[in-house]
Amino acid sequence: MSNETRKIGGVVISHGQVATELVAAAEAVIGDVSHIAAVSIGWHDDVEMAKDEIARAISNVSSGDGVLLLTDMFGGTPTNIAAMFLKENEVEIVTGVNLPMVIKLASGSEGSTLREIAIMVEEQGKEAICQAGLLLAPQKLKKDA
Amino acid sequence: MLEHTLTVINPLGLHARAAAKLVRLASKYESSVAIQRLDNGVTADAKAILSLLYVAAGPGSVISLTAEGPDEDEAIAAIEQLFSSGFGEI
Repeated sequence: MSNETRKIGGVVISHGQVATELVAAAEAVIGDVSHIAAVSIGWHDDVEMAKDEIARAISNVSSGDGVLLLTDMFGGTPTNIAAMFLKENEVEIVTGVNLPMVIKLASGSEGSTLREIAIMVEEQGKEAICQAGLLLAPQKLKKDA
Repeated sequence: MLEHTLTVINPLGLHARAAAKLVRLASKYESSVAIQRLDNGVTADAKAILSLLYVAAGPGSVISLTAEGPDEDEAIAAIEQLFSSGFGEI
């Protein structure tokens, strides 16, 4: 993978430290996540301060091709503040962030538009939620047999 | 196309960081590279980490490794080495 390819930037935004730790976990798995920032909004943080922090994060990770904001929960303050930045082809939001979504954004954005990436990350996030027991069951049965 | 059969020997199996190592290595080659768990047929692109995780290849899993392209020999040799070194974990 070439570093010269421009990547869609990402900002993970959450209540508490979830965002910071999700980005740290993604980095531990895949290495370079320099185009993804984390904004952890404290329970008592001022909305204006949080908004400024998100604005700074967006400009830090932007390479001109758009920035995807991944927030923890639709309807929560992090999403509501993030929504102030929504702008077609420049800033999109996908809610319900999980680790596979961050990994998907970190590793798979070359050559895709912001809109395409938003759809890919949303689908990846949904696919990644499963009852592990159902996927692993055939293996277990074999062992028991 | 070249095919080779391998066994996962590291105790943690093909977990996230091991899969990431496989992706980094496979991505160095122009050839397409895929792995398939032979007991259940689940297949993944070796250059896509999230698909590799769904192979759920635990220790002892027998894997078919295939590569197709101009550098398929080198790709197979390098990946075989990665598996036989237990992803550097043993």
